Amino acid sequence: MSTSPASLKDFLERLATLGKQPASTAKLSDEERVQRAGNSFLRELTNSMAVDLETCIHCGMCAEACHFYEATQDERYTPARKFDPLRRYYRRELSPMRWLFRPFTRKVDANDLREWQVLVYDACTGCGRCDMMCPMGINISELITVVRNGIASAGLAPNEIQALQDEQQNRNSVFGVEADKLRELIGQLKSRQIEIPLDKAKADVLVLTTAVDVLLFNDALAALAKIMNRSGANWTLSSAAFEAANVGLISGDTVAETGAIRRIVEKAKALGAKTVVIAESGHAYQALRWEGAEDTGAELPFEVLAASEFMARELDAGRLKLKKAQNGRSVSYHDPCRLGRHGGVYEEPRRLLDAMGIEHRETDSSERENYCCGGGCGEYVIARAAPLRQKAFEIKKREFDKAAADAVVTSCSNCRVNFLIGAENARWEKPIESLVEMVAANLAD
Amino acid sequence: MRKDQSLGEYLFAQGVSRRGFLKFCSATASLMALPPSMVGRVAAALESARRPSVIWLSFQECTGCTESLTRSHAPTVESLIFDAISLDYHHTLQAAAGFAAEEAREAAMQENSGKYLLVVDGSIPMGNPAYSTFAGISNLDMLKETAANAAAIIAVGTCAAFGGIPHANPNPTGAVSVSDIIKDKPIINVSGCPPIPVVITGVLAHFLTFGSIPDLDELGRPKAFFGQNIHDRCYRRPFYERGQFAKTFDDEGARLGWCLYELGCKGPTTYNACATLKWNEGTSFPIGSGHGCIGCSEPDFWDKGSFYRPISAGLWGSREALLGAAAAGAAIGIGSALAARSRKKKAAAEEAKSS
Amino acid sequence: MTLLDFARGPALQLSLVILIAGSLWRLVGTILLNARKDLSRPRHKSALADGMKAIATRSLPAHVFEKRIRFQHFSGYAWHIALFVSVLFFAPHILFFESVLGFGWPGLPNGIILATAAITIAILVALLIRRASHPVQRLISNADDYISIVLVIVPLVTGILAFAHVGGRYETLLAVHLLSVEAMFVWFPFGKLMHAALTFPSRFQAGSSFGRKGVRA
Repeated sequence: MSTSPASLKDFLERLATLGKQPASTAKLSDEERVQRAGNSFLRELTNSMAVDLETCIHCGMCAEACHFYEATQDERYTPARKFDPLRRYYRRELSPMRWLFRPFTRKVDANDLREWQVLVYDACTGCGRCDMMCPMGINISELITVVRNGIASAGLAPNEIQALQDEQQNRNSVFGVEADKLRELIGQLKSRQIEIPLDKAKADVLVLTTAVDVLLFNDALAALAKIMNRSGANWTLSSAAFEAANVGLISGDTVAETGAIRRIVEKAKALGAKTVVIAESGHAYQALRWEGAEDTGAELPFEVLAASEFMARELDAGRLKLKKAQNGRSVSYHDPCRLGRHGGVYEEPRRLLDAMGIEHRETDSSERENYCCGGGCGEYVIARAAPLRQKAFEIKKREFDKAAADAVVTSCSNCRVNFLIGAENARWEKPIESLVEMVAANLAD
Repeated sequence: MRKDQSLGEYLFAQGVSRRGFLKFCSATASLMALPPSMVGRVAAALESARRPSVIWLSFQECTGCTESLTRSHAPTVESLIFDAISLDYHHTLQAAAGFAAEEAREAAMQENSGKYLLVVDGSIPMGNPAYSTFAGISNLDMLKETAANAAAIIAVGTCAAFGGIPHANPNPTGAVSVSDIIKDKPIINVSGCPPIPVVITGVLAHFLTFGSIPDLDELGRPKAFFGQNIHDRCYRRPFYERGQFAKTFDDEGARLGWCLYELGCKGPTTYNACATLKWNEGTSFPIGSGHGCIGCSEPDFWDKGSFYRPISAGLWGSREALLGAAAAGAAIGIGSALAARSRKKKAAAEEAKSS
Repeated sequence: MTLLDFARGPALQLSLVILIAGSLWRLVGTILLNARKDLSRPRHKSALADGMKAIATRSLPAHVFEKRIRFQHFSGYAWHIALFVSVLFFAPHILFFESVLGFGWPGLPNGIILATAAITIAILVALLIRRASHPVQRLISNADDYISIVLVIVPLVTGILAFAHVGGRYETLLAVHLLSVEAMFVWFPFGKLMHAALTFPSRFQAGSSFGRKGVRA
């Protein structure tokens, strides 16, 4: 079942209220901002980033991989340029020849940080397509993330993002979705015969859902619950740690990012869970699966699986049986950037589609070279960037139209929201589906 | 030859036919790149030339230049010409010795004051005048004294022209060239170790014909003979162009007469007439005999690295020095990284303290 | 000391010392900074193999990328290959390497080298024009980019002039050629020419960090 336009409208209205209050960091002086940004850079710089910063040859090919550049032909969006503040800081402060380079390298000032805010928040989703293009093998998206973290440290993250982050850090909620809202939804689903265990004392599997699913894609949560129950796993949601989304990862606040991870890790430990399954969210997967251990300073005592990984594993083990889809619809699977390129989960979704006998037509750019949905995990909240995102969406739309499948399916709720917004603005009729919902609809009886 | 005989009278008296004489004049004219119309003038000048007085001073030399010039078994026209100058002083060739020789020299200098040619071979030691003297007079004093009333000076051989082997590193005698000392007389440098015989006679012939010195390059050498490098006239050039080189002195390439660049030939940077005039009256030259040019007509050719080191190998020093550079670079790199790391650590500690 | 003596001797010595010391300084000083400690469970435990693979595969971009960068891609590799042929397979150059390394290798006929050098110059000039005119490159280029490309073009041009004995006395042409190469040596550790060495750790890192996640970098 797809989302009705009415609830999407509600959701977007809720988003529009973000960031209307001034950010908590509005009162910082320029020197303090520059100082904080510098300390953030200093803290995060590693030797591989240093090698990357030394190696850029200014070929500009990264621009040809970036959907924002492609959509606008605006050279200011060249990815290699987006990490320039970090490059200059590094050259002046940490590079081996810093004493020689300092006189020739302009110091990063507060105006640079302000100018770069648009470049690293509005015009970059951290999708990593540039990483794949760069002939020097520079991890450009990682460098841009460090710049973003520095700008956030300086209190210059866009208001909407800052507001979201303040909310998650101070009230442990996203988009106003607190435990009560979750309980309310679970109650509603129970009346539809969908059982969702909440706050079990011990469980093997801790499942994380997202505020977007709770607010908008209820069917996705219902579908995931159905699948978990069918697989026979001993699973639970937890009211203290049900949110997969990690705003700190998006905003650039590493303290917030670590805080959100810690809450999950603690709960999983308390439950004795050996597995954490993340509902459809790309950045949440990247945050916990690939950065969680580093954030907490210790290996995670559990494995982390994306929903599609879990489903594929259960399929292989024979605990989940799927039937062939009857409607004969073809789909194009959209690889979410944080799940695919930054996550490594390509193959499982396609295996599930095959198991359901669903024809999938790849877009020209897919898997590792897939184009970002354009709104990147949470950045669709930045109001002023809407026109830019819409232009980027046109690229996806062209790709999907060329592939000419009947529907688009993906495994990230944020990508779904972006596509829905884009489709509405472009008056594009293509249905946007969830993989989890598709699997749940095709469980063998 | 009698002093009052002209050169032409002398030659004809020796049995040289007019035709032979004119052949020599044509050859000399073409050697100096003079047009055919000049042959008559060369002939007229040489024929009527009075035997000019020539004083030959030998300083720090090996006598190789004299040996080269006199290397003729049968009387050749060149050697007759040599007889046709009044060689009033020459250590090796003169019969006189001791005071008699010095008196002859002084008499010739006085009689021909302003008109005699001074020929010098060997370098002049400046470190200590006692390093090279004759008749108790240092080379330096002898040169200055004799050059004072000379019409022109010919510095024969690389030693006189540029300092030569005594000048080579570490130059223990402080050897210098003629032009380092004499600044007020025309000097023709006929370099080479030794120079080619016909180059000398060509220069003399020019002087006799025109009463002036020929066109000189910026090292004072006659352009007619030193105006082109060996490489441009070398008969093995096609092999250089094709990239076919002998790698050792007895490999296939050497036997096939390939280019000797890889064996250290300095042809490309050496200016002389060896490749065209050759040696031993046109018999061969070092490259033709399978040995690379050693650049003997160039200044400091002894100090340009081994004769067998190719030009492109450069003189970059020792492998130890380069390894030392690598170690130094790595050390600085380590130092800078450690400094950066400690800065990071300090900042992290401070942050932990304040939070 | 003539200009050629200077170029063959002290200038060559100093420039080689700077080249070697500077390059090691920059490489070691970069690589020895803090390493990231990745504590996540790898999907693939083949960091070394993934890294080495990336060094090769980054030269072969995916089709959807390659079709957008075709000119730069082909001309870039073409001039690099032509340059390496000109530098490494010309007999006089091989003699230089032999004197440093202790071993040499067979060369190519001079005519071929002349052609590859000319091709290299032509492509470099075209890319220089592109850098100064294409909006993206013009925006992100700095002095180092232009200096570096000129320092590569000049030795090629002076080399051809010296080889063909055009433009002056041979020993002057040769000295100028050697000095231009030495200028490039001196610049190498401090500018973007270092990417010749840095490409390897950079691509390796991309390969191994994405590889542990199961993504082909």
